[in-house]
Amino acid sequence: MSANLSVLAAMLDDAARNATEATQLIETHPDLTIEDAYAIQLLNVQRRWARGERRAGYKMGLTSRAKMQQVGVSEVIWGRLTDAMRLEEGGVLSHQRYVHPRVEPEIAYIIGKPLAGDVSAAEALAAVEAVAPALEIIDSRYKNFKFSLPDVIADNSSSSGFYVGAWAKPDTDVSNLGIVMEVNGRAVQVGSTAAILGNPIRSLVSAARQIGRAGESLMPGDIVLAGGATAAHSLSVGEHIRTAFQNLGTVSFTVGA
Amino acid sequence: MTQSTPEAIQKAADALHEAARSGTPSTPIRTLLAEGDVEAAYAVQAINTQRALDAGRRLVGRKIGLTSLAVQRQLGVGQPDYGMLFADMARGDAEEVALSDVLQPKVEAEIAFVLGRDLAEPELTAADLFRAVEYAVPAVEIVGSRVANWDIRITDTIADNASSGLYVLGSRPVRLTDFDPRMCGMVMEKAGEPVSVGAGAACLGSPLNAALWLAKVMARLGRPLLAGDTILSGALGPMVSVQPGDVFDIRIEGLGAVRAAFAKE
Repeated sequence: MSANLSVLAAMLDDAARNATEATQLIETHPDLTIEDAYAIQLLNVQRRWARGERRAGYKMGLTSRAKMQQVGVSEVIWGRLTDAMRLEEGGVLSHQRYVHPRVEPEIAYIIGKPLAGDVSAAEALAAVEAVAPALEIIDSRYKNFKFSLPDVIADNSSSSGFYVGAWAKPDTDVSNLGIVMEVNGRAVQVGSTAAILGNPIRSLVSAARQIGRAGESLMPGDIVLAGGATAAHSLSVGEHIRTAFQNLGTVSFTVGA
Repeated sequence: MTQSTPEAIQKAADALHEAARSGTPSTPIRTLLAEGDVEAAYAVQAINTQRALDAGRRLVGRKIGLTSLAVQRQLGVGQPDYGMLFADMARGDAEEVALSDVLQPKVEAEIAFVLGRDLAEPELTAADLFRAVEYAVPAVEIVGSRVANWDIRITDTIADNASSGLYVLGSRPVRLTDFDPRMCGMVMEKAGEPVSVGAGAACLGSPLNAALWLAKVMARLGRPLLAGDTILSGALGPMVSVQPGDVFDIRIEGLGAVRAAFAKE
């Protein structure tokens, strides 16, 4: 099946690169396992590395009840970030570079010490250098944003871009901070960081465990996006997105053509 | 709009009163009133408020409902509604709540304001409210409905005292200057799972906006909010159904915590 996995990875990578829709893998490969899916994800991201993109960290997905309901699954997943996905806070997002981009508010951790395996929340926090408010641009390459669990994992967990706001001290309590996401000054999502598994640090603990299991480690300088705190907002050209986080500040960008 | 008759208003009030007394929910009362006749629905509510006062129940505040734009759209209205709070509706923080005390209970996490002075002027501003609020405290509103299966439209809920039931206030009052009513995060957990999540801004942009709306309406109607009154300002996150034995823990960032615990039977 290994040759086949490369073909599927190339298909998804091309879809992301060309901003075109892909057909769900599960339609032609109904037996695709979660392990196959993570193998495809790695092959998919290796193609990015081969083009010169560099590792920037990880993203956790499906970490909120709202999100799980939205896609109809019940398992935390992860994907890989590259430096090319980092977007300039306050800048203009090019809508045409994506298939059907959405944005969701998140908490970002920057890692100061290597972290992998089964760790406690205290150990995870001790490896954190700083925390920040963040926005993630998610863009499933699948038609109508519809996918099965193996599909989304193979598609790098829909990861496609991220904005990070001002860094705060690692001991800042981010367990239940209010979030208001506005489009052109009107609130479209209101929530709390508590939607991320009850406390975003649990997402980092889960990241260390799952990434450790894959034989990798969180490394100094890595950014970990802990997962969406509200339902995602579907982006349209002309929208100014401003998201305020209690005690942490705001993260903004504008959607251009 | 066609008018609801005084007889129909009285009949609706009697049906809701009887439902509360007997513990058997009523059929929707909207069929008795002209469609969408909000004024008549408040007249129904007023009859039962007077009945409660005549029976010696003590009026201790108000609740504000329909403070989420999504819920307003659902019911086809453009403003919140209000109901009366009586002293016998109050329960203590973490005190066991008997299921027989409320019909078809659901819970909502809210910020409650306790007033230190009257708000009698009809022309009120946020500054008046800042000066009048003595304390804020996290609260659980245990809403209930005297209408069977919560089959409510706008006139049903207003007539039914805005679907109010019971309420629980947290144990530690906080000054308005010491937390952020708009940006505060809210999480309600049941058995360690977040079952409702939100923030202050989910309530009309800020719970203070809702409280100010209420204070103006009450002053205009000649039943102003008074020193000592409690205002339940509206839900910060989605409403959650209650099963026997459920325990709900609410945390509002910067404001504190409160618990609503239901009896097993």
